[in-house]
Amino acid sequence: MVDAGITWKNLLTLALAVGASALVIARAPADDDAVFPMPAGKTYVNECGSCHTAFAPGLLPARSWRKMMAELSNHFGEDASLEEPHRLAIQKDLENLAADSPSSNMRMRRIHGAIAANAAPQRISETGYFRYMHDEVPAHIWKRKKIGTPGNCIACHTRANEGRYGEREVRIPPQ
Amino acid sequence: MKRLLPLLALLASLPARAETPQQILDGLVAQSGAASAARGEQFFRAKSAEGKTAESCATCHTDNPKAAGQHVKTHKTIDPIAPVAQKDRFTDPAKVEKWFKRNCNEVLSRACTAQEKADFVAYMISVK
Repeated sequence: MVDAGITWKNLLTLALAVGASALVIARAPADDDAVFPMPAGKTYVNECGSCHTAFAPGLLPARSWRKMMAELSNHFGEDASLEEPHRLAIQKDLENLAADSPSSNMRMRRIHGAIAANAAPQRISETGYFRYMHDEVPAHIWKRKKIGTPGNCIACHTRANEGRYGEREVRIPPQ
Repeated sequence: MKRLLPLLALLASLPARAETPQQILDGLVAQSGAASAARGEQFFRAKSAEGKTAESCATCHTDNPKAAGQHVKTHKTIDPIAPVAQKDRFTDPAKVEKWFKRNCNEVLSRACTAQEKADFVAYMISVK
């Protein structure tokens, strides 16, 4: 029969088990941090991040980025053409780090999994995973002046330009 | 020559040599006539009927060049455009040309003339 009463030995075992679990939890890959790999160097943030958040490539599949990079002269109604060497380098980075790239992490695979195989979405905010993650954000918050549009990631995700979208780093502007 | 290649590649990858706003202005004036800050200010605020999403420079950069602006469509914050408020403004000739090209096309649906660019930079330098 196992000694199940409150003894010092059992308390010690319990304490050790709790402590060990805490260590495991603390050291586990922090999925909640929602970190996406970003292109190396400054070209991407300088060229793409001047007008909008430097969106993490892992937020869309490679086919979306290929389509976008082929249509930069009419980029959501604006001319965002790049010098050809920059365009090619950026497209390569986007494809290498896309949601369906071999280097994708679990979150990127979930993003890709929620996109129809024949679709090449151009707006991250129209993907299933984005909607699912933001379904608790009420309409009046999106309308705040500092936010304005769901594509303005960096308004709330303060470190979005580093590929960090974790909830703990979200700061919603009060107006 | 082969040994020099990595060095040349490194040099080519370095950012363009930083200049001062005055040097950038001098470069533009050399292609136009004398610059006028007053004309530049008028140009900055003038409303264009050709604007695609922005009808004037001030639409995004606000009426006050010392204030942070906001992209009219993406709502991303834009650093102030006056060098007095944002040290790196008008220090990289390639960057200056890139944004004149994009934004003149955006607001005026055409390229800006050298005179317009010179006036614009003169106005920005004059903002204290």
